[in-house]
Amino acid sequence: MTEFIQATAFGLLIGGVYALFASGLTLIFGVMKVINIAHGALLILGAFLAFTLWEQLGIDPLASIVITTPAMFVLGWLIYRTMIGPLRSAPLSSTVLLTFGLALVCEAVMGLAWGNNSRSARPSYFDQSFDLSGIVLPKAQVYASIVAVLVLALLWLFLNRTWTGRAIRAASANVQGAALVGVNIAKVSALTFAVGIATVGAAGSMVSVLYPFLPGSHYIWIARVLSIIVLGGLGSLQGAVIGAMLLGLAEVYTQTYISTAWATAVPYVLIFLVLFFRPQGLMGTRLREDVAV
Amino acid sequence: MRGSKGHLERPRVWFAALALAATALIAAGCGDDESDGGADSDEPITVGLSLPLTGEFSQPGKAAEQGYEVWRDTVNDEGGLLGRQVELIVRDDASDQNTVVADYNALIQKDDVDLLLGTFSSLLNLPASAAAERNRMLYIEPAGGAPEIFERDFQYGPFFTQQATADHQGDLFAEWVLALPENERPKTVAYAVLDDPFTVPVVDALRATFEEAGIETVYDETYPVSTSNFDSIANSVKSANPDMVVNGSQFEDGIGFRRSLTKVGFEPKILFQTNAPSFGKQYSDGVGVENTEGTFFAISHTPEADTPGNAEFVDAFEQEFGEPPAEDAADAYAAGQVLQAAVEGVGSIDDQLALADWLRENNVETILGPLEWEDTGAPIGEFLIGQWQNGNAEIVLPEDAATSDEIIAARPQAE
Repeated sequence: MTEFIQATAFGLLIGGVYALFASGLTLIFGVMKVINIAHGALLILGAFLAFTLWEQLGIDPLASIVITTPAMFVLGWLIYRTMIGPLRSAPLSSTVLLTFGLALVCEAVMGLAWGNNSRSARPSYFDQSFDLSGIVLPKAQVYASIVAVLVLALLWLFLNRTWTGRAIRAASANVQGAALVGVNIAKVSALTFAVGIATVGAAGSMVSVLYPFLPGSHYIWIARVLSIIVLGGLGSLQGAVIGAMLLGLAEVYTQTYISTAWATAVPYVLIFLVLFFRPQGLMGTRLREDVAV
Repeated sequence: MRGSKGHLERPRVWFAALALAATALIAAGCGDDESDGGADSDEPITVGLSLPLTGEFSQPGKAAEQGYEVWRDTVNDEGGLLGRQVELIVRDDASDQNTVVADYNALIQKDDVDLLLGTFSSLLNLPASAAAERNRMLYIEPAGGAPEIFERDFQYGPFFTQQATADHQGDLFAEWVLALPENERPKTVAYAVLDDPFTVPVVDALRATFEEAGIETVYDETYPVSTSNFDSIANSVKSANPDMVVNGSQFEDGIGFRRSLTKVGFEPKILFQTNAPSFGKQYSDGVGVENTEGTFFAISHTPEADTPGNAEFVDAFEQEFGEPPAEDAADAYAAGQVLQAAVEGVGSIDDQLALADWLRENNVETILGPLEWEDTGAPIGEFLIGQWQNGNAEIVLPEDAATSDEIIAARPQAE
């Protein structure tokens, strides 16, 4: 039983962090129907920013989100205005190609700026744990999960309790309908993209303390984050949270009870099964094409 | 009319003369082309290579590029190869097996390079060396010690420029463990292994040796390349409570695993990680220098090694890049030295098979020590074993290459 509780604790802690990683991507897809392949690269950029703030100024990586989040918000807005915006009405494949190119450029820029060496921040708690009667809870993972829950709660409040947030949700549900009731779709799209990238700033701060990373690390993360939002339902924030938790638990249960060799394969079997019975994902909604278009 | 005829004939004479001259020039031009690859040309010798400069293996790929660049500059400063300057043509394979094959085909067929040097990791060298073999080009690789690479009866290589293939990289460590006094020798061992052609053979060989010696395996798992979370793996290792832990790791996974062992509060008496601790400061920065003490690792090069040319290489590298060379940079430099020795030994670059045969029959002095090969290209030698001591990565085995007099038999954190 202790082993099961321990595995569940690890899974939930990992899932909490994954949820934040995926939230921005699903938000952007929900409103703009853009699959941002550069999400992983921007996540690593956020990690490099947090690492630099820790190394040069001694700022705790998790506290540095008050700097990395606004910085990435501005970067997201700039990317939208210069690259994504002009392609808003282009086919999905065009934006996939564009954002893939952006990921490669981002990787190259990070390589030039920070080199190809592996980095990881080591605040005082990075290798410490809470011990609750034999259940080990790594402090960095616990703190990161708490920060992730706080950021996700703020994001939920923003989307549900502000007019701007409601405009984003309206655009996500039906772009034409939102435009008809006066929502400025261009502005909402720019804001959504910037907010989505801002969440990556917060997530990157967590990566910097939880995982060693280098410019090429983004490939692993984009694959995992895409899986989460597909499992949860493209465009659904609640779906991303549930998908992240399920993926985290599936990874750890597989490592503990089946084999570490299957730890990344079994979760994808789970995704396959979910999509077989619910092609729209766990929390995705099916829209009539004649209404959605 | 005669005059006129004569006048008409004169252009024909001129045309004939021009045609002869043009033919002679074309012939001379063809002659130049043919001598491009020969020893008499003044043109640079082009050496083509593809490296994982981006993607998953970009860290060792970049280090290898630096090592190759220092080798090129050293050769050129000393008058070149066969009196000709060396020019590197480098492509980026993005750590992808398909791209690396396309790169080597393009280097050979489009860029028309004179010689090849290898890429990084067994995963990439396996297909890259096959592309070189198909094109009948000598292939010398600074990494890629997986045994299956040398089981294909290739004629043109690959020649692996480290001391031993992966399955022999833990030999000296295993010998040391089995030579410990009975009361110090570990009774149980846990294996956590990255699913990679360069790590699995090391651990397979260690497991076979330890099982034969009666050391009980209490945990044995292989994890995929995409593994990021090691807490539950480390916790399972902790539950098994082994005396010794063997972690077949490349780099980031090795750091992640080591950090997780500390997080779950488990410190084995003996810890062996195949590659990660050989990355020097990057390793100690990643896991915390206080957590490095006593960790064993396999390594091919150390900046302090007393091998011919090593001090000059380290100086040149530090001048160029402002930091000591990583092991991967040194391995790449050694690959360049081996290529240079073969070319100078044969005295020509025209016959690639002659270059390969020369390497089969000779050994080469490198900054890694003397290297020699079986006919398959697999090296015949002993890999060095290092151990972190007082915040420094020291060589502890074999004795004649050791940079430290002592070996920490039981890690202090385990007490």
